[in-house]
Amino acid sequence: MDKVLRVKDFLADLGRIDLQIRVVAGEDALGKDIRVGDINRPGLTLAGFYDFFAYDRIQIFGLGETAYMRQLTEDQRRETYGKFFSYEIKCCIFTHDEEPDPLFIEFANDKKVPVLVTRRDTTRFSTMLTLLLDQVLSPSVTLHGTLIDVYGVGVLLLGKSGVGKSECALELIERGHRLVADDMVEVKKIDESLLIGTGSPVLTHHMEIRGIGIINVREIFGIRSVRNRKRVELVVTLEEWDNSKEYDRLGLEDTMYTILDIDISSVVVPVRPGRNIPIIVETASLNQRLKRVDIHSARELDENIQDLLKSEQRHQ
Amino acid sequence: MTERMIVVNSDAGVHARPAMMLVREAMKYPCSVSLVKGSVEADCKSIMSVLGLAIVSGSKLVVRAHGEKEREVVDALVTMIENDFRMT
Repeated sequence: MDKVLRVKDFLADLGRIDLQIRVVAGEDALGKDIRVGDINRPGLTLAGFYDFFAYDRIQIFGLGETAYMRQLTEDQRRETYGKFFSYEIKCCIFTHDEEPDPLFIEFANDKKVPVLVTRRDTTRFSTMLTLLLDQVLSPSVTLHGTLIDVYGVGVLLLGKSGVGKSECALELIERGHRLVADDMVEVKKIDESLLIGTGSPVLTHHMEIRGIGIINVREIFGIRSVRNRKRVELVVTLEEWDNSKEYDRLGLEDTMYTILDIDISSVVVPVRPGRNIPIIVETASLNQRLKRVDIHSARELDENIQDLLKSEQRHQ
Repeated sequence: MTERMIVVNSDAGVHARPAMMLVREAMKYPCSVSLVKGSVEADCKSIMSVLGLAIVSGSKLVVRAHGEKEREVVDALVTMIENDFRMT
């Protein structure tokens, strides 16, 4: 499903992101869709260079743009704005509390382009807006699993209901690791290689443990046992031990689990009574960290053995 | 796969107890069962997932099941929601 943000959403309560923004023109067009998560500074465009003009992005007018517009004569302005608004502009935002001149507002109202003014400075505002656009417009998927930070590696535990994901997470929390979300994990694709997982705002670090019911992990284990978001780096799938299935015994090949077209390292851990799953998850995380610094235990052992075998052969 | 759309009319929405009723019912069946609200699909055999959907009165849901006895479970859950979670 295509994600959409409307211009009027900028004016709504955005929680921690306070854009300090107000509308000065184009009120009728506040329902306009924003689908492109990038922003554009139109300085070059106003000066007459229209190649590569990203008109479908949000246009941010900083001090440079407003100063340039101010020194233009009335005729020059009319010409500049005429050309600028001949494109299908989505939305213009002026920073530093600088209101555009009446002619600009006239053009904007005429072309039904929302114009907003923020009290914030350009850099800070752009950062906030980019963050907001990323949060809303990035593709996302909600997975049934548990996300936990184990030794700094974001581990997504997957598996059928009742296989023991929550119990495994509980033991990991007890061992000092940090819960991001249980049962419902929203995973967002921030860029081509980065997946960030968060919990549902409704559930906020609560967990269901069969036999006890719903518990509040933050209250029971304290603030150090939870975090709000974490990069997803390893997928651990828990499944009931299946005698007919061949489990990986070497770990020479990296298996991958694909989420939103991004491949994440993955291991499948068979569960059976008496197996200590949390320690296996901890070890998988540490192994993942070694792979990050290019230490691949299985491959290295295999290479050593192959070298040894070669030298033995030479001595014979 | 069997699925049916339904609008929740229960005034209080799906809070803890109704969520538990849905999960208990779903657990009786071997197939996978999910509730879909908007773009989010939640495992109907997990209390937290069902609660996480934040289903309120007026929410449109799709009850979806896949596997053995899929039709029966969808019927049972839809009936439960239609009866506003009153035990019949």
